[in-house]
Amino acid sequence: MAIVRWKNRDLYDPWADFKSLQDEINDLFDIDRFPSTTGLFDRSVSPAIDVIEGEHEFTVKCELPGMEQKDIDVSIASNILTIKGQKKNEVEEKKGKYYKKESWAGNFQRTLSLPSSVAADKISAELKDGILTIALPKKEEAKPKQIEVNIK
Amino acid sequence: MADKKELETKKRTLPAACDIYEENGKVVCRMEMPGVLKEDLDIRVDGNRLVINGKKKAENTKGDYRIREIRDGDYYHEFTLDDTIDRSRIDAAIKNGIVTLTLNIKEAEKPRKINIVAK
Repeated sequence: MAIVRWKNRDLYDPWADFKSLQDEINDLFDIDRFPSTTGLFDRSVSPAIDVIEGEHEFTVKCELPGMEQKDIDVSIASNILTIKGQKKNEVEEKKGKYYKKESWAGNFQRTLSLPSSVAADKISAELKDGILTIALPKKEEAKPKQIEVNIK
Repeated sequence: MADKKELETKKRTLPAACDIYEENGKVVCRMEMPGVLKEDLDIRVDGNRLVINGKKKAENTKGDYRIREIRDGDYYHEFTLDDTIDRSRIDAAIKNGIVTLTLNIKEAEKPRKINIVAK
């Protein structure tokens, strides 16, 4: 039996910092970070989205702070979901003197290719506290089914 | 050692996109905090510090993430107030995920005209 030196995990490991630095550098070159979900007309500045697949439905969440219902247009055409809208600049540039400006304004568009299991006629969307939630139920036949086996 | 441990256990916070501008003699701070409710927003003035902490509601969605771009964590911002800001007159409002803080400037700091009395 080989004897392995016991390592106290509470001790400060100087190499751990190098490890995190290397991870960060690797992250920079991570090609997967390029959004594969952006369409041709999607701009580089666009709201962040989450897509969650549940057992019975997909949920799409989109961060749209400061936007009203009338500014957002959600549409579906042959299983391509499009979230379109215009984020308005609430304050005119001339009016005030800016110290800091980090928010963006303008048109945006996000397109998502949905799997064929989504029932396109049952989609509902809700806007609350700056978050748009779109519920995309799955088709009945696509839902997991429990098949009973009768043993004779 | 102790510092290192504290860093690891601290909950991750993220800064909200923030606009600060001056309007009608007031400093307006507008922050984008989607998903934060009025009850979960905590704004404190501690001496010279203005601390804004917006807690996001805990996720209750069941399922697997296919795309995850929305960052997880609470919004946290800390600003230093200078002496021109009237600490007793700071108004805050939240609407559609946008927090608007209106910081009034002290009357004494505003430019004023001095009347000349001719004798």
